[in-house]
Amino acid sequence: MDNAPILNVAALRARVADEDLDILKGVDLAIKPGEIHAIMGPNGSGKSTLAKVIAGHPAYEPTGGLVNFDGEDLLEMEPDERAQAGVFMAFQYPVEIPGVSIANFLRTALQARLEDGEELDLFDFQELLMDRMELLEMDPSFAQRSVNDGFSGGEKKRNEILQMAILNPSLAVMDETDSGLDIDALKIVANGVNTLKKENPDISVLLITHYQRILNHVTPDVVHVMVDGRIVESGGPEVALALEARGYEEYRNAHAA
Amino acid sequence: MSQAAVVRQRTDPAIGRATVAGMGAADPAWLRARRDEAWAIYQATPMPSTRSEEWRYTDLARKLQLDDLVVADGHTGPAAGALLPGPLRRTMEQDGDSAGRIVDVDGKVVSVELDESLARQGVVLTSLREAARQGDDNIRRLLATAAVPATDGKFPALNAALWSDGVFLRVPSGVTIERPVRLSRWVSRSGSATFTRILIVAEASSRLSFVEETLSPDFDRTTLVNTAVEVFSRGGAQVQYVSLQRLGRGGFYLANQRTLAERDSTLDTLNVALGGSVGRVDLNARLLGPGANSDMLGLYFGDADQHFDFNTSQDHVSPHAHSDLLYKGALDGSARGVFRGIIRVHEGAQGTDAYQTNRNLILSDDAIATSLPNLEIGADDVRCSHGATVGQLDAEALFYLMSRGLTRGRAERLVVLGFLGEVLSRLPLGGVVEKVTNAIVAKLRNV
Ligand SMILES: Nc1ncnc2c1ncn2[C@@H]1O[C@H](COP(=O)(O)OP(=O)(O)OP(=O)(O)O)[C@@H](O)[C@H]1O
Ligand SMILES: [Mg+2]
Repeated sequence: MDNAPILNVAALRARVADEDLDILKGVDLAIKPGEIHAIMGPNGSGKSTLAKVIAGHPAYEPTGGLVNFDGEDLLEMEPDERAQAGVFMAFQYPVEIPGVSIANFLRTALQARLEDGEELDLFDFQELLMDRMELLEMDPSFAQRSVNDGFSGGEKKRNEILQMAILNPSLAVMDETDSGLDIDALKIVANGVNTLKKENPDISVLLITHYQRILNHVTPDVVHVMVDGRIVESGGPEVALALEARGYEEYRNAHAA
Repeated sequence: MSQAAVVRQRTDPAIGRATVAGMGAADPAWLRARRDEAWAIYQATPMPSTRSEEWRYTDLARKLQLDDLVVADGHTGPAAGALLPGPLRRTMEQDGDSAGRIVDVDGKVVSVELDESLARQGVVLTSLREAARQGDDNIRRLLATAAVPATDGKFPALNAALWSDGVFLRVPSGVTIERPVRLSRWVSRSGSATFTRILIVAEASSRLSFVEETLSPDFDRTTLVNTAVEVFSRGGAQVQYVSLQRLGRGGFYLANQRTLAERDSTLDTLNVALGGSVGRVDLNARLLGPGANSDMLGLYFGDADQHFDFNTSQDHVSPHAHSDLLYKGALDGSARGVFRGIIRVHEGAQGTDAYQTNRNLILSDDAIATSLPNLEIGADDVRCSHGATVGQLDAEALFYLMSRGLTRGRAERLVVLGFLGEVLSRLPLGGVVEKVTNAIVAKLRNV
């Protein structure tokens, strides 16, 4: 694929708003349409911060560099505008929203995409919801539960993928969606991602993970290693295998040197 | 709807001895005596002031000038058969199925309808005034005696002296009313004072739900609506009582409610405050027999300078009863919410289960929520808890929703609706959930 990247992150620096130290210290990352990239890295290296800066979390403040999405300056956009443009982030820690059912939430999200005065067809929506829940082997009654309220860790992750499957983004940032899933659930989620990929070959995925095991199911084109706010190595799937064997020690040492 | 200012003329009925006498003119002697006695108590009782704990946050001296009010004496309502005001008709159309309906305009019952099969089973739904005049023995025994007597305070006394009409609902033993009975109340006169009562008696093992809705246009002068609500559930009965307060601005809603739940009965209440300028509800739930249960729900959403004050008490007189209170409010603009609640476990009320929770969501810098939960425990084998929170919109929740494409406004709306919706989901009566949800959405649009 030699087309232009859909996501282009260059020399991105960011910090927690009103704090001094940058967490991201110059991140470069380009993802082309249809590519799957994985980011691995030790705890606290800035992976979630990168994901949240891409999604527009107000707690983080970019201090340098750029994030381009489909030719637009993402950093200038509100979180909802980014979502409308096709960005989706599956949260590492999904938020509980008491009293708001998944069905109501997703209906509102789809309605928000329509022009003023246009009404979502509720029958079509119901069909889509049921179809996607079946894909992820979720019980239909789940749709009536409040978003993430009292969900188990695995249920929360599956709910993130359900939203992704319904909103059908062009870039999906998945922040440790595999963490906390049992082996069966992991396969279901991986199968969900692969199905979406099949339906929409142009979807790009940025998959943040600590474990090789999901990469056995969702094959990455590129694997990046992030250490201390920078991407310190990029390569093929073999990079993940090497990490699994050797850990991050050599990167830390090299970085400290 | 615009309102011509009504300034009380010399001939208009004022709060006073003469109006009490006029109100009772056609009443039987026992009722006239009860009014007179109540008036004497009213006069002997000082106006509640902010020096008392219970009225600390609602300054009546500043918010209510009783002398300026024109008492709605039940003579000024529309003639029988007259077209009801548009807003009242529209809200009635939004109601779901009803087993019975009663319409009250300016303190006078103007129409009563009851499912015929229920009437045949002995259910009584009627104008309280008519029933009292016809000498219904239940009314003689229960009206302003066991539940909200004049001795309860300044306003219970005033109401017992000056009530013009109201509702009497009695369901005989073993009779079930599936669909709600609804009272639609309209107040039209700016500067008026309406005193009205509700008396509900659910005999043993009967079932009923009652929904009261109060509506009005906006007023240019303070306009008082004072209700005294008395609800009895006898052994094994199941009762739901709902009050929707949707007055226009300028409205001052002052409700005294008491529920008496006997052995193995369920007596649940829901108070919704959305309208008016000031709303004050005093609710006392009494658990009088083992196995009695009261869920007490409340929902308020204040904006601009609205002021809502709830004063609740859960009296566990009997052992082995259960009560669970949940009041939730959202406050925007410079609105104020006050919740003061107490669980009283009487001496010997072992095995009591009593809970009390008040949660507030503050939507603006100038809104204030005050929450004062309290416990008074006179037995040792009890399970009680109380809790209060005052919080702001969760920034993480808003980001989560926005990251799915919702604008900030829609995200806020969804979070507020979800927060308040928990209350409605616990008492999901037909018509109520949709109506209250729509009213909240309409208020949120103005935010
Ligand atoms: N809102 C915040 N306030 C303060 N510090 C923060 C905040 N967000 C991130 N940090 C800090 O920034 C660093 C990077 O955090 P981040 O969550 O991006 O790491 P991560 O790579 O996702 O780690 P993990 O693998 O544990 O999920 C950490 O030291 C973290 O404590
Ligand atoms: Mg992380």
